[in-house]
Amino acid sequence: MSTTDEIRQWSEELARDPASLVFLQLAEALRRQGQTDVALKIAARGIERHPSNADAHDLMARIAVDRGDFDRAISEWETVLRVASDHLGAMKGLGYISFQQGRLDDAERYLSGAAAQGAGDDVSTALDMVRRSSAEMTATVDPQESTDPKWLFADLLVEDQQTALLLDTNGYVLGGLYLDPDGHDLAQEIGAQLSGISDEVVRAMRHLDIGDWRSIVFETEAAVVAMAPAPHATLLVVATSRATPLGLMRRLLDRCAARAAGWLDAVREP
Amino acid sequence: MSSSSFGTVLESITRQRGVRASLIVSESDGLIIDANLRFGQDGDRIAALAASLYRKARLSAGAAWLGAVAFLQLDAERGRICVAGGRGDLIIVVVAEPAANVGLIRVELLKAVDQLE
Repeated sequence: MSTTDEIRQWSEELARDPASLVFLQLAEALRRQGQTDVALKIAARGIERHPSNADAHDLMARIAVDRGDFDRAISEWETVLRVASDHLGAMKGLGYISFQQGRLDDAERYLSGAAAQGAGDDVSTALDMVRRSSAEMTATVDPQESTDPKWLFADLLVEDQQTALLLDTNGYVLGGLYLDPDGHDLAQEIGAQLSGISDEVVRAMRHLDIGDWRSIVFETEAAVVAMAPAPHATLLVVATSRATPLGLMRRLLDRCAARAAGWLDAVREP
Repeated sequence: MSSSSFGTVLESITRQRGVRASLIVSESDGLIIDANLRFGQDGDRIAALAASLYRKARLSAGAAWLGAVAFLQLDAERGRICVAGGRGDLIIVVVAEPAANVGLIRVELLKAVDQLE
């Protein structure tokens, strides 16, 4: 059965019985389709009827993450843990957000809790990242001197859901990382998808008499993304939550560009 | 919305300091629906390239799980291009001077997009 058919079936079932728990499947399917406004309304109505249902609050938290509303996500996952203290999804989610917000002690606590509940390799990987990041911060290592390019921009990205990637001409990642709520590093996938935009920009620049491009910024439902050409034909991609003011985003892009330029010069030296 | 209403939308944008051209364009085929251009601006070329760029950004953002694109701003040495779109096929394109107040242009564009829907 297609997702569309499932959504129709679950919608009909929920209309027949508004107290049904099928709202969990329906809102999740809508969330995965990117229909977060509708998913939010359905989840909110479900929570009104089932205020102690941990999965309903977990669902609401994931919808909030998709919408870039991290305060709401934290609040919902904290509710989940009050109802079900061993809820794996809530611990992973809070661990992810804590890491993104630079609260490494909290991130380690939540992810350790998730690992103790038998979470998979993705949590172990995320936990390793958090511990390495903590160790690097404790040792006050200059990220430009760090040998792992994943941490190239780590000290510049201090607010919630800020991410920076440095890509080569083929869209391959040279530095930076992009973690999803489950702790997976999606840098390669995100980089490959977004790098195509710069090709389109270069094509447009050839036909518009406005000189070389300096940056492109686009606002999406989930994030604000800025891209800029970097030295040695590389491409810098910075993403922040929609809560980040656009002026601040520009300054972040400039700082990351300076970091990328210095790092590229360093790694290209014989 | 009638053609004259499109004209009203474009006039409010073109009044902003530093705006060289404003266009309402079909994103799917890059054709102009209505335009307000200063002398020397090639509306057809701007419309086609801006629509193509916005479409690419929309598709790439979707594939990267970032959701729909509402506003796009391209900065170049000698000009800026801003594009705003909503749920429908129509997008609004602005070509502006590098020194234009892009914050004001953005606000006007997002207001104008609401009027298109």
